[in-house]
Amino acid sequence: MGFDIDRYTATSVSVHWDDLDLEDFRRHPLPPDSLRTLRYMADVEYHTVCYTRDLLTTPSHREADVSAFMTMWNREEFWHGEALAAVLAMHDVTVDYDVLKANRLKLGWKDRLDPIKQSVMGSLVGADFVAVHMSWGAANEWSAITAYQRMAELEEHPVLAELLRRIAKQEARHVAFYTSQARERLAASSKARKITRFALSRFWAPVGSSINTAADVRHVMTHLMSGPDGRRAARKVDDSISGMPGLGGLTIVQDALDELGIPA
Amino acid sequence: MARSWSTDSDGPAGFDVREFARTARGSMRDHLDLSSLAEGPLPTEVHDALAVLAVLEAATMPHLRNVLVTHTHKDARVTAFLVTWAFEKYWIADALRAIVDAGTGPSGAPAASAAARAGTAGKAGDRGSSGTASGGRGPVRRALAGLTQGWDVVGAHLALGLVDDLVLRAAYTRVLACSSDAAVHASIERILAVKERHSRFFDEEVRRRLSASGRAARLARRELRRTTWPLGSGAITVAERSAFTQFTFGVAHGRALEDLRGDLAALPGIDVRTVASVLRGLAG
Repeated sequence: MGFDIDRYTATSVSVHWDDLDLEDFRRHPLPPDSLRTLRYMADVEYHTVCYTRDLLTTPSHREADVSAFMTMWNREEFWHGEALAAVLAMHDVTVDYDVLKANRLKLGWKDRLDPIKQSVMGSLVGADFVAVHMSWGAANEWSAITAYQRMAELEEHPVLAELLRRIAKQEARHVAFYTSQARERLAASSKARKITRFALSRFWAPVGSSINTAADVRHVMTHLMSGPDGRRAARKVDDSISGMPGLGGLTIVQDALDELGIPA
Repeated sequence: MARSWSTDSDGPAGFDVREFARTARGSMRDHLDLSSLAEGPLPTEVHDALAVLAVLEAATMPHLRNVLVTHTHKDARVTAFLVTWAFEKYWIADALRAIVDAGTGPSGAPAASAAARAGTAGKAGDRGSSGTASGGRGPVRRALAGLTQGWDVVGAHLALGLVDDLVLRAAYTRVLACSSDAAVHASIERILAVKERHSRFFDEEVRRRLSASGRAARLARRELRRTTWPLGSGAITVAERSAFTQFTFGVAHGRALEDLRGDLAALPGIDVRTVASVLRGLAG
C-alpha cells in the first residue's frame, strides 16, 4: 500500500517534550560520552535542511507528494534537533544558531561542491537518480531509528528514553515514505536498481559522516553499534535495506562498521 | 544555561525566529467557515486568482532549492526560518484550495484546484518551464555563482522573499476588494495574519543586510531584476500568470503598482532601474 501523504501532512507535528521532566537530567546527568553522541545526533537533525538541498537538485521536487513530504519532514527533523538541544542545555551544552552556523562553515569546499555534484549526477542519470536519493533516505532513516533505540537501551534514563521514543516514532513515518518511494522506483527500472545498488555499496557512510569528524563518527558508532547487540542492530538495518528491489545481499551498515574498525 | 537564538554575526537581529518556529501555524481548515460559498460561487476572476495563489504559496521547494545551494544554507537562523516559512505556506496553500473548491460553482473548472494540488511545476506540458522556476539558472549555475558571492547572497535571497510577499499581498488585497463574501474576507484576513510574520522577518533582514553591505545590495538588485515574479511562476502557465498580474496590478484597478513602486524604492540600495524592472515584469 502506498504512503498516505495527506494523512501524514495532516498529522505532522513538532515533537513535544513540555510534559517531560528535563530537570531530571540535573539530578541524573548523562555521562560525557553519551553527551558527545547526543550532540552528534542533534547536529544531524539540524542539518536535514542541507540534505534537503541535495534532494531538491533532482527532478523529484516537482512532484507534489515529495514536495509535501519534504516540507513536513524538514520541520519535524528541525524539532528533533531542538529537542536534543534542550537535553544538552540541561548539561550546559549550548547548541544555538551561531554554533550551527560555525559548524556548517567548517564543512568547507566539499559541502559547497556537493549540490553541483548531485545536480550533475541527476542530469546524467535522469529520473532514475531519484531512486538513489529515496533509497539513501530510507537507509538513513532506518539507521536513525536504530541509533535512537540503541541510545535509549544503553542509557536506561527514563526521560531520555521517552523523548527518543517520540523522535523514533516520527522517524518511522519518514522510513515509510522513503521506502514507499524507493520500492516503487526501484521496481519500475532496472537502471534505477543498478545505479542505486552501486551508489549505496560504494558511497554510503553512516549518517552524519559528511558533517562530523572521523573521530566523532567512530565514537558514535562504537558507543551505539559495537558488541553483539550493536551488530545485531546493524544487521537488522541491513536486512531492511536489502529487502528492497535490486538491493538483495547489501550489507552497507556492517561494512561501514568494519571499515571504521568498530568491534563486533 | 540560557540559550541564545537571536544572535547573528552580521549584526543585531530583533525577529525571534525560535518563537516563530515554536508557534508556527498549521492547518486552517477547522477555522474556515465556507458554507456561504455553497450558496453562490466566487466571481470567476477571484476564483482564478485564489487558485493561482494556492499554487504560488505551495511552490516553496523550487525556491528553497535555488537558495540552499549557496551560502544561505549555512545561516542556521535563516534556514530555521525558511523551514517554518515553508510549513506555514503549505497550509496557506491548503486553505486557499479549500476556498477555491468551496467557491467553484456546479459548472466550475476543477482543473484549477488540481493545478493547485500539484503545488510545483507540474507534469502538464502547458505549465511554466523549469527554466522559469529557476529563473533561467539551475542549481549548478547558482551553486557556482554562490562560491564567490559568499554571505552577501543571503541578503539578496531574503530580498526575493520580501518582494514576493509584497506582490502576493497586493493580490490578496485585490481579492478582498473584489469579493463581498464574508467567508472569503475572514479567510484571507486569517491568511494575511499568518503571512505578517514572514513579511516582518524578510523586511527586517533585508533592511539590515542591504544597509550593511553594498555588495549585498548589488546582488539583491541583480536577483530582483533576473527573477520572474511572483516566485513560483514556473508552476503556473503563462496565461495564468498574465491573468494573475492583470487582476492584481491592472491599471484600471487602482494604485497597486504604484504602492509596490513606493515599497521597493524605500528599500536600502534598491535603485530606480531595479524597481522599474520588477514593475515591468508585473505590469505585463
